[in-house]
Amino acid sequence: MGHTTELMDIVFGLDPQWYAGTVFVVSYLLIMSDRINRAIIAMTAAGLMVLGGVLTQEAAIEGVDFNTIGLLTGMMIIVAITRQSGVFQFLAIWSAKLVKGHPWGILVMLSMVTAVLSALLDNVTTVLLIAPVTLLITDSLDVEPYPYLFAEIFAANIGGAATLIGDPPNIMIGTAVGLSFNDFLFNLGPVVAVLLPAMMIPIYLIWGRKLVASKEARQRVMDYNAVDAITDKRLLWQSMLVLALVMTGFILAHDIHQEPATIAMFGAALLLLISSLPRSPGEQSKQLEYIFSKVEWITIFFFVGLFMIVYGVEKTGLLELLAGEMMAMTGGDPGLTTISIIWTSAVASALIDNIPFVATMIPIIQNMEAVMGGPEALMPLWWALALGSCLGGNGSLVGASANLIVAGFAERAGHPILFLRFMLMAFPLMLGSIAISTLYIYLRYL
Amino acid sequence: MTITTGTDSHPTASTIMHPHPKVLHPTDKISTGVRYIMKYRYRRLPVVDDEGRFMGVFGVNCLLRLVLPRAVVMDKGLDSVPFVRDSLADLHRRLQAVEDEPVSLCMRDEMVRVSPDTPLLETLLTLHKTRASLPVVDPDSGKLVGVISYFDVGEKILAAGD
Repeated sequence: MGHTTELMDIVFGLDPQWYAGTVFVVSYLLIMSDRINRAIIAMTAAGLMVLGGVLTQEAAIEGVDFNTIGLLTGMMIIVAITRQSGVFQFLAIWSAKLVKGHPWGILVMLSMVTAVLSALLDNVTTVLLIAPVTLLITDSLDVEPYPYLFAEIFAANIGGAATLIGDPPNIMIGTAVGLSFNDFLFNLGPVVAVLLPAMMIPIYLIWGRKLVASKEARQRVMDYNAVDAITDKRLLWQSMLVLALVMTGFILAHDIHQEPATIAMFGAALLLLISSLPRSPGEQSKQLEYIFSKVEWITIFFFVGLFMIVYGVEKTGLLELLAGEMMAMTGGDPGLTTISIIWTSAVASALIDNIPFVATMIPIIQNMEAVMGGPEALMPLWWALALGSCLGGNGSLVGASANLIVAGFAERAGHPILFLRFMLMAFPLMLGSIAISTLYIYLRYL
Repeated sequence: MTITTGTDSHPTASTIMHPHPKVLHPTDKISTGVRYIMKYRYRRLPVVDDEGRFMGVFGVNCLLRLVLPRAVVMDKGLDSVPFVRDSLADLHRRLQAVEDEPVSLCMRDEMVRVSPDTPLLETLLTLHKTRASLPVVDPDSGKLVGVISYFDVGEKILAAGD
């Protein structure tokens, strides 16, 4: 750090805090503008932090949370292989048939499947798997897909809030603070279990009760043969085995002294190994190339750059200043600070990408530790940040990557989701979910 | 617009093209396009605006896209649907839902084309890669001046041996 401080004194002859702050603000503004790919912005800004002398290359690498990177990459590989078995389509179709093809029942079931998958996989992957099947089912039912897609967006963001691996903000918070899979499940699982059915009520009142499908249309869905969706039974069993091992690993992570990234990456390696065994070396290479192409490298590089930017700003002491300002505003009151964090995170996450927001908030909250009275006293703040940033994503179409993915599918299917129409309904609903979460945090932790 | 037809020693696309192809207009109904395709067994028909400018093509692929669920044919859609048991009546239902829509809804607007002056071999290579009839478009005006099908080419090549 001493070496970094020396370097900081010579940042183009500028004050390091101003320099790092300017790079940070400009890069965040550019990310919000959506004019340049966010990974390119993050990598350029990270480079400027090093070239400007705010960080050495070693310090920049030290700032990258490889636990987050490893966990994301490992899960992406596992899902890329698993999806080839057709198991996710099977789940969606099986759930639709379980309710005898009833349109409202299907909406509820698809939302539940989305929520559960979102808790176990990441949101973007979940909607990539579920939205196309939803469009197929609504086509067969001859009903408007909008209510289904709307409900799935909500279910993905709410379900993702329940676990360490469900949503990138949770991964970042979990790895920064050392929280386990179980910590998230036990602390956020209960409120998520309340939020999901609670969100279904307004959706039913607005759309659900009007959803009608003819007998023939329902029969078309009932004629689907869910078992036929499984295209590779061997791969299905292999994937289920590895997924079960990985989930068990997450649950026992603390007891076996392993980090989530190790568990996810080893799970990915194991699944790659057993699924490749019957293939020739040439086929293995082809399959590996395909699987690696399914990893979202834009997201991964975005994270790497972002961690470096935030680390640079943190090293200049700017975030400590911001934390001090925030504590001054709330008077250091734990309750007020927690409530401020959940509502600020929710509104901010509805309007901007929640990943950079959470990346910035983590060191700010860490800097509050001394004033708040130790790491235990910070726990309500972490849960507030997790709930606010995950649920806030429901507030608008740009609130979460999963929302944009669903909107893209809807547009390509000829049923565009308009920004304002979505927000008029989604923003109040999101605020409702935050009100319930605030009550939960108040009753349980404050 | 003046179209040169090439010479015997330097034949071009215009030498082998069919100069008066059947065309559709963007506002024609999909049902009209379907009727043409089925009646004349065309794989695809060029679509031109009122000035004769080439807009795209409407063909059997469009037709197939219309009768399949959108979830299957859209970008990043479902790769396979072995679990769906749709009947011919279901396919007809989808076609019926769009038959009064304009062909522009399903027209492919970006596609390979050649100019009247494209040399013969280059034209044939493009035809080989495209695997369907090839529009000949004047590069200056953007107007459709002809279409080249495998049969046009075959006839011309056979005639050259007589």
